[in-house]
Amino acid sequence: MDSNFSHKVWQEVELSKMVEGGIPYPMVSDLGGKIGTEYGVYDEEKGLDVRGRFLIDPDGVIQAMEVLTPPVGRNVAEVLRQLRAFQHHQKTGELMPSGWQPGKKTLPPETETLTRAGHVWEIWKPDMAF
Amino acid sequence: MSVQVGRPAPDFTATAFHEGTAKEVKLSNYRGKWLMLCFYPADFTCV
Repeated sequence: MDSNFSHKVWQEVELSKMVEGGIPYPMVSDLGGKIGTEYGVYDEEKGLDVRGRFLIDPDGVIQAMEVLTPPVGRNVAEVLRQLRAFQHHQKTGELMPSGWQPGKKTLPPETETLTRAGHVWEIWKPDMAF
Repeated sequence: MSVQVGRPAPDFTATAFHEGTAKEVKLSNYRGKWLMLCFYPADFTCV
């Protein structure tokens, strides 16, 4: 939401003390909430963007999104898990069951076809989600 | 507004603070890479 000047001040007085050299990625200025409106995260009444997060693949397609009201921060580890899962899927075609982490069991691409419907229990149990 | 998973992310061009200076950024210039787009209410809040 804020201006580039505000971003600069935040970088200098705080962020550069958390991360050496400051935040390395562009901090966009969404004055007026124009971009937030396009993405459905602009709260017109309060005049601010809520916490929206969009994971966009190399073709420009949104693969995942998460939107929170302001009081609660995000879970970076979960974003990275989703990123790795989508990357793994795009590379191999395999499916990632609940709670998948890199190195854990995946499901073959045909799991969701009719011939395999009703057979997931043979290869996957709920305790594998944790 | 209508963003949906599995659909193209709306493109935009905007001014941004990056590497110590104000720059123009365009979402579609990041094609070919994974990109995380984050919105937050205001500077000096948690992210």
